[in-house]
Amino acid sequence: MSSGKLRVFLGAAPGVGKTYAMLEEGHRLRDLGRDVVIAYVEPHARTDTIGMIGDLEAVPRRQIEYRGSTFEEMDLDAVLRRAPQVALVDELAHTNIPGSPKVKRWQDVEALLDAGIDVMSTLNIQHLESLNDVVFEITDITQGETIPDEVVRRASEIELVDLTQEGIRERMASGKIYSAERIDAALGNYFRPGNLGALRELALSWTADRVDEAVANYRNLHGIESQWETKERVVVAMAGAVGGDDIVRRAARLAMRSRADLLGVFVRPTEGLTDDTSDALATQIQLLQSLGGKYHEVVGDDVAQSLIAFAKGENATQLVLGATRRSRLQELMGGSPVARVVRQAGDIDIHVISYEGARPKRSRPQSRQLLSPARRISSWVFAILGPPLITWALLSWFDAPLHNVLLVYLLAAVGAGVLGGALPAAITAISGFFLANWFVTPPVRSWTINSADNLFSLIAFLFVSLVVGLLVGLSSRRAAESRRARAQAEALASTAVGGHPVFGTDERGLVRRIRETFGLEAASVLRRDGDSWVTLAWDGDIVLDRPDKGSEVMDLTGGAVLVILDGQLTTDDRAVLRAFAAQIVQALEREELEREAGSAEAMAETDRLRTALLGAVSHDLRTPLATIKASVTSLLETGVEWTPDQTSAFLRAILEETERLDRLVGRLLDASRVQVGAVHVFFRPVGLDEVVGAALGGLGAARERVIVDIPESLPEIQTDPALLERAVANLIDNALIWSPSTESVRVSAGEIARRIDLRITDRGPGIPLDSRDAVFQPFQRLGDSPRSEGVGLGLAVSQGLLEAMGNELIIEDTPGGGTTMVIGFKLAGPVHIPDTLTTDSHV
Amino acid sequence: MSSGGRILLVDDEPQILRALAINLKALGYQIETAQSGEEALQKAATNRPDAVILDLGLPGIDGVDVIRGLRGWSDVPILVLTVREGERDKILALDAGADDYVTKPFGMGELLARLRAALRRAAPDDSGAPVISTPHFTIDLPAKRVLDADNSEVRLTPTEWGIVEVLVRNHGKLVSQTQLLHEVWGPQYGEETNYLRVFMAQVRRKLEPQPGAPRYFITEPGMGYRFELPEPEQVVLSG
Repeated sequence: MSSGKLRVFLGAAPGVGKTYAMLEEGHRLRDLGRDVVIAYVEPHARTDTIGMIGDLEAVPRRQIEYRGSTFEEMDLDAVLRRAPQVALVDELAHTNIPGSPKVKRWQDVEALLDAGIDVMSTLNIQHLESLNDVVFEITDITQGETIPDEVVRRASEIELVDLTQEGIRERMASGKIYSAERIDAALGNYFRPGNLGALRELALSWTADRVDEAVANYRNLHGIESQWETKERVVVAMAGAVGGDDIVRRAARLAMRSRADLLGVFVRPTEGLTDDTSDALATQIQLLQSLGGKYHEVVGDDVAQSLIAFAKGENATQLVLGATRRSRLQELMGGSPVARVVRQAGDIDIHVISYEGARPKRSRPQSRQLLSPARRISSWVFAILGPPLITWALLSWFDAPLHNVLLVYLLAAVGAGVLGGALPAAITAISGFFLANWFVTPPVRSWTINSADNLFSLIAFLFVSLVVGLLVGLSSRRAAESRRARAQAEALASTAVGGHPVFGTDERGLVRRIRETFGLEAASVLRRDGDSWVTLAWDGDIVLDRPDKGSEVMDLTGGAVLVILDGQLTTDDRAVLRAFAAQIVQALEREELEREAGSAEAMAETDRLRTALLGAVSHDLRTPLATIKASVTSLLETGVEWTPDQTSAFLRAILEETERLDRLVGRLLDASRVQVGAVHVFFRPVGLDEVVGAALGGLGAARERVIVDIPESLPEIQTDPALLERAVANLIDNALIWSPSTESVRVSAGEIARRIDLRITDRGPGIPLDSRDAVFQPFQRLGDSPRSEGVGLGLAVSQGLLEAMGNELIIEDTPGGGTTMVIGFKLAGPVHIPDTLTTDSHV
Repeated sequence: MSSGGRILLVDDEPQILRALAINLKALGYQIETAQSGEEALQKAATNRPDAVILDLGLPGIDGVDVIRGLRGWSDVPILVLTVREGERDKILALDAGADDYVTKPFGMGELLARLRAALRRAAPDDSGAPVISTPHFTIDLPAKRVLDADNSEVRLTPTEWGIVEVLVRNHGKLVSQTQLLHEVWGPQYGEETNYLRVFMAQVRRKLEPQPGAPRYFITEPGMGYRFELPEPEQVVLSG
């Protein structure tokens, strides 16, 4: 008999719908004609799941007595006797009640499998033995029930039942997973979005590993040895050329197909900037980032080499380039960068993509090098070929006298100087000198010169043409230099005004840009703060948090300095760096101004609050005052004879209104303290049960509606008991106001993850997600509160007080409707009672 | 029910002074008033009061300094009046030697109960009834016995009894956590406040009609405990 197949529905947390999915599959198989029974399903009183059981046959459970209680377990023998084709067994990791034939449910399941029955079962990721410690790290809950991984790995199918953490929380909030009474601190903590996210990732990656395992098995079986690339990386070279968007898009598509990371790289020349494309580059950077790519900048003059170095450094598997836009002449002289990239690429795949902007542009001057290669080459061609051609032309067509010939040579020397600088000019002049000597001065075709006149003319020509050529060459170099300087200045100006599209204008972006532009190891901006330094911004492999850690320090403003490491900077670099530094100074000052503007806004906000406060408060203060005054003046009235009952009624009214006033004034004082940040906190170790007890003391009759569940054995917390009492009292008050009068408010606490959570749970209308920040604003009420006391200050005061003590206040949904306020406390350290409490002296 | 005695009232608010004076005089106390710390110290020296009721927020010399001044030469019971926000002052005052505190605004009944408890400390001979009866239980100090409302015995562990005994002997008065630990566990204890919480919870479960909302064994969070006896008479302001 062949053994049955195990199929496991794996989930990240309770409530993702594993049992439901299993039942659904059971129905499907049954409808396909297979014999399906429910061996054990635990619906947890979840209505969806109960509904899903429908008419599936269930094998009766076994009743087991243990310590006076009756428990229900799967009846293994009954299922084996029933011998279905498929059995559904919930909760694979379950531990059976002592007295059951087998200790663990998975052992029952193995027995079923051995009997040739296919089994479908469910499992939560936290029950896997190998993940026990990870789960503990995430949730701080030790899982008692674990299941050996091999059992699950032997399953022929593992199906992940996945639900987003929002989905789980939504189901939780609507009470579909647990009823409100079951949610204690531990469970509340377990269902935090962060926890759920981590557990979900764990479930996904564990399942993915099983898939990998399956693939590896397959490859072993079929003798496939070569290593498959595990993670692809696509690098796209960004030239910032018009039409380069296509390249970025193509690269992104490539990356998406192979599930690769996308990196964009721009090679910035060491000097100057590409002159007309920064707009295009900016758009492409934005495009790259919107497609999920990361932008990088490297500095280098050899584009091909820089690209390859970057790609190799990033372990890229593919490199995408645009077809070169150089002219053929440039390709001949320098070789096309594409060709050089391909030569150096090694095992990186190169994709060359032609695009709209790839046509060569002839007229555009290149400012990268002082004189472009084309220009230098043509000047050399001119210097070598020019004079012989001129000589040949002059002698063939005209019988020009010597001085005219020399003047034409001079013109040629000047031309060569303009084109290629001093050296081509000198070559032209010297070759002119010899050509004239050989071909023009009598006796022709000999080096001898028989006229002193001619000799003087030739020598004078040589001098004049050398000097003129030199000067022309120099001035043309100057012109190129000034063009470059202008380009740099423009770049800086654009940074100053609009900000770099990627780096922005804040000092962080600027520091990063400095580092990338100059190829530094690290750079940072520090500000002196007394004897120490505060790091305002940094970029690079190490944090330069002190000036002496860097190789160079540049003073900025207001005690701030720019520190760089590994700067082999030229004088020119230094000048540009200084300009950058000035930008950082501006950024710092701008931030300072924004801060000031921000505080001005905050002050305006405070004013607005004060006005609102006055309006609301005067109403709430006057009402009790009016009652008190009316009662007192009645009692003082001499003309009337009050009965003792009437007198007592007046007095009671006065007392009640006085207490109301007292509460209101207290809350107002708290609110104003919170508002101006003048809450004085006085920490002492104290038990949460004591504080909550004191908070309940002021409730009066409403105390009956509060259920308290706080163990006295809970460790003490370090807090200000008086402030906490007020914060908790306000929250309970608020919960009572919003809960229907038939429902009670639950106050519970529990220890979890080295902290204590206090939960105040109401059954009111709940607070929609988007209003959760707003309810903590003073004078806020969601709609009209059913019974109003105070001026909508309660939550604002609570939050302010808790914040002053360093506690968090989180709003959660109560499962099944309502709001749960959760206060988180860190546990008190070693308990110390301050001396101030020692009162032995006067006992 | 009050036995009289000289009380020095110190507060800078004439209205409070007047209301207190009327009440205390009606109960048979002799009243002396002072409106500043200096005046208080001077009057305490000349008149030798049996108890001092002292507001902490005084002009001139601070209330806590007045306590220190008094404690320099006198053991007179001191009851301080504080405001709700004066948590720190309250603790400083207790540290300086004040016997107890009442938070403004207070009910007259509460103030009088505290005052009586403070006076009892000064004259322990009438600390009175070694048997204390409430509607819910009876505590017989000499017999070390607790009976419930049906007169059947409630069994307390020795530690529970120790706590009950200390609190009942000081009924109405705040007993600090440290003091309770010293008296019940021994002088080497003083920081194990979590013991107290657990045992107090047990005592409440055995004696309080509603352990979650205690009426007799009251906790002052972070400070101490108080055994509160329900007052037979309800004091109502007159005039």
